[in-house]
Amino acid sequence: MALLEMASVTKQFGGLTAVSNVSFSVGEREIVSMIGPNGAGKTTAFNCITGLYPVTSGRVLFDGTRVDGQPPHRILRFGIARTFQNIRLFSYMTATDNVMVGAHWWMKERVWDGAFKTPRGRREERDIEQMALELLDALGLGDRAGSYARELPYGLQRRLEIARALATRPRLLLLDEPAAGLNPQEKNELMALIARMRDEGLTIFLIEHDMSVVMGISDRIIVLDHGEKIAEGPPAEVRENKRVIEAYLGSGASQEARTA
Amino acid sequence: MTDLAVRSPVALLRRVTQPARSMGRRVEGRSVYLILTLTAAGLVLLGWFLPWFVGPFTAGTGFSPQDVVSSAPTGFATVLVYVMGASALIVVLSPLAELVARLRKMTLGVRVDQVRAIAGAAGLVAAVLVYVLVGVIREEPAFGVLSSTTITNSAVWLTMYGFGVALFAYGAKGLVLTRPNLAFAIAALPFGALLPLMFHQAPDFLLWAASSLAIYTLLALGLNVVVGFAGLLDLGYAAFFAIGAYACASLSSPIHGIHLPLWVLIFLGAAIAAIFGALLGAPTLRLRGDYLAIVTLGFGEIIPDLATNNVFNLTGGPNGLPGIDQPKIGPVDFGTSPQWYYWSIVAVTLISVLLLRNLQRARVGRAWVALREDEVAAAATGINTTTTKLLAFAIGASVSGLAGAFYGSMLTAISPDAFQFQVSIAVLSIIVLGGIGNITGVILGSFVLTFVIFWALPHAHEWSATFAHNFNVSAVGNINFPQYTYIIYGAALILMMLLRPGGLLPSRARRIELQTGVESESLAAVQGRA
Ligand SMILES: Nc1ncnc2c1ncn2[C@@H]1O[C@H](COP(=O)(O)OP(=O)(O)O)[C@@H](O)[C@H]1O
Ligand SMILES: [Mg+2]
Repeated sequence: MALLEMASVTKQFGGLTAVSNVSFSVGEREIVSMIGPNGAGKTTAFNCITGLYPVTSGRVLFDGTRVDGQPPHRILRFGIARTFQNIRLFSYMTATDNVMVGAHWWMKERVWDGAFKTPRGRREERDIEQMALELLDALGLGDRAGSYARELPYGLQRRLEIARALATRPRLLLLDEPAAGLNPQEKNELMALIARMRDEGLTIFLIEHDMSVVMGISDRIIVLDHGEKIAEGPPAEVRENKRVIEAYLGSGASQEARTA
Repeated sequence: MTDLAVRSPVALLRRVTQPARSMGRRVEGRSVYLILTLTAAGLVLLGWFLPWFVGPFTAGTGFSPQDVVSSAPTGFATVLVYVMGASALIVVLSPLAELVARLRKMTLGVRVDQVRAIAGAAGLVAAVLVYVLVGVIREEPAFGVLSSTTITNSAVWLTMYGFGVALFAYGAKGLVLTRPNLAFAIAALPFGALLPLMFHQAPDFLLWAASSLAIYTLLALGLNVVVGFAGLLDLGYAAFFAIGAYACASLSSPIHGIHLPLWVLIFLGAAIAAIFGALLGAPTLRLRGDYLAIVTLGFGEIIPDLATNNVFNLTGGPNGLPGIDQPKIGPVDFGTSPQWYYWSIVAVTLISVLLLRNLQRARVGRAWVALREDEVAAAATGINTTTTKLLAFAIGASVSGLAGAFYGSMLTAISPDAFQFQVSIAVLSIIVLGGIGNITGVILGSFVLTFVIFWALPHAHEWSATFAHNFNVSAVGNINFPQYTYIIYGAALILMMLLRPGGLLPSRARRIELQTGVESESLAAVQGRA
C-alpha cells in the first residue's frame, strides 16, 4: 500500500487554483521527485500535505489514515517531516537546539521536570542532546553544534533543516528544493545523503529544479504545471514526455529542462 | 547563563573552543565587567559625597570621610582616611583609564588589574575599620567631634560595597568575562540581601525597595517569559497583577472574613493568575505581533475598569479593598518593618529565577523560543503552538500573581489605580531596557528603572533643594522634578535604544541579531550602489 496518497486534491486561493485535482501516491522507501515550472503549485502541494494549508477538496492519506484537516503538529506526529524552500530554521537557536526541537513531540519531559530539574528530566535532556550531537555529526555539522542557525553558511543551514526533520523520527521526508543554492560538490553530498536516508528506511518526496539531482536519484517523477499533474513516471520516460518539454519551454526554467 | 544552549559543563567547554561562540560570550562578559566597574566607581563616589549633597537621603546627619578630615582626626584614623581616599581615587578613575586605553587602542596589563584589585581590597578593609571604630567600638576621641549617632550608615555601607565590587571585578576579571551571569549574581546578591541593613535608617527607601524594586523585578521576570521567551507582545500584563492582588486581598481581609496566611496566598495568587493568563490568552492564540499587542492592551484596560465599576461586587469600586492583613510571625511584624516583605519577596524572586531559568533551558523553553523564531516552522516540527502559547501566558501570569499577593498585603489596601496601563508599560520598559529574553538583564533593568522612576525622580527635588542650599544656587532648588518624571524617563529610554538597542545586558540572540543586522544593512548599501 502507498505510504502517502493524494486523492483529487484541489487547493484554491480565492479565484486562483494553485493545485487542481491532483492525485498520486508515494510508496514506502521510494524516492519521488516533483518537478514543474515556478508557480506550478509544488510548494502548495507540500503545504497541503503538512497541514499548513487546508485543502479545498480532496483527501490526503498517510499510511491509510486521513490526515488532511488535522493541524500541522498532529500531521508531523504521524511521521511526515519537511524542510522549506526558503529555509525556516530557528535563527537564534543553536544548531543543537534546532535539532532538539525536532525531538520535542516525542520527549517525555513534562513542564515540572524542566522547572525542578528532576532526574528523569535531566536524563532525557542529556540523552536528547547526545542524540542531536550525533545527528549533527552524521550530517557533517558536528563542529558547528554551538553556532546559531543564522551564523551557518547556506549549505549547512539546508543540512541543519534536514537534521531537525530527522529528529522528529519521520517515515516520510518532504524536501522542498533541497539543492537550491548548493555548489556541485554539496549537491553530490546531498544526493548521497538522500540515498543513505532511503537505505535506512525513509521515504523521500522532494521538489527539485536541478535536473541532474532529479534524474540522478529519483525512482519516479511527478510533473506539475499550472496546478495540474501533467506527467508521472520513471525519469527516462518523463524526460521524453512532450507535455513536459512544452511546459518547460514555455517557462523560464526551459534551460534546465534542456540541459538535463 | 541566559543562553538556551548552555546546559552542561561539557557543552560549555565544547563551545568555548568554537570561535563564533566564544566571541559572543566575551562580548557579554565585557558588558557585565563594564557595569561592575562603573557600579564600583559610582558607589564609592556616592558614599563619599552622599552625606554632603543629600542630607535627607537617610536619617543621620552625615558621616563621610571628608567629615573626618575636616574635623581633624588624629593618629590611626588619619591613616585610614588617606588609605580610603587613595583607594577611592583609583576605583573612581579606573573606568576612565579603561576608556582612555580603549580610545588609544592600548590594553591595560595584568599589573593594572592587580593594582586596582588591591585598591579595592584596601578600601574595603579601611571602610570596615572605620565602621567598626565609629559604629561599634565608638572610639570617639580618634574621630574628633564625630559621634556614633551622626553616622550615616548608608554612606559607609555603600562605600564598603563599592570597594567590594571593585575587588571582585578587578580581582576576578577572568570569571567576570567568562561567566558573566554568575559574576552578576555574585556581585548583586549581597546588595540585594543586605539592602535593608544598609538602609535601615531610611524607612521610605526600604518601602521603595520592597514595593517597587522587588515587586517590579518579579513582574518583569514574568513578562519576560511571555515577551522575551515566547515572543508574544503583551501590553496588558498589569491585568494579571491586578487579578492576583484582588484575589489575595479578598482572601486575607475582613471583607469576606477570610484570613489566609500570606504563604498560602502566594500559591493561590499564582494559581489564579495563571488560570486567567490562560483564559485571556486563549482568544489571542491566532493573533500575532501588533494584533496581539492591541488585544492584550484591551484586556489591560478592561480589568482595572471592571474593578473600578465594581462589576462583580467583589472589588470595592474605585476605593478598592482596604484592611488587608499583614503577617505577624512571633516578634516579626511585617506591617512595621517593610524589610520583611522585602526579604520574603527576594526569596520568592530567587526561587522564581531558578525555576524560570530551568524552564528556559528545558523542553518548554526551547519550544517557546522556537515559537518566537518561527511559528510555522515550530508547528511543522511538531510543536503544539496552542498549548505552548497558553503555557507561556499562564506561567508568565503566575509570577505576577506572586507579586500581587505581596503587594496588597504590603500596602494594606489596593485600588484600581495601582494596575493602570503605566504599570504594564513600566514592566515592558524594564525588560526592554535590561535586555529582552535575558534574566540577568531583566533584573538589572528593574533595578535601574524602578530606582529612577520610583525613587530618584520623586526625591530629586529634595536633593536639589539640599544642593541649592549647600552651594547657594537657588535655581537648582526650584526645579520641579516630579513634573518632568515622564520626560526624563522617556528621554532615557530613547537614549538607551539609540546607544544600546539590545538593552543593558542583551541576550546573545539579540546581540547577534543587532550585529548581523548592521552588517547586512551595509551589505545592502553596497549592493544598492553596485
Ligand atoms: N498563501 C498563498 N496565497 C495566495 N496565493 C498563493 C499562496 N501560496 C501560493 N500561492 C500561489 O499559488 C501558486 C503556486 O505557488 P507555489 O506552490 O509556491 O509554486 P511552486 O511550484 O513554485 O512551489 C502561485 O501562483 C502562488 O502565487
Ligand atoms: Mg516552491
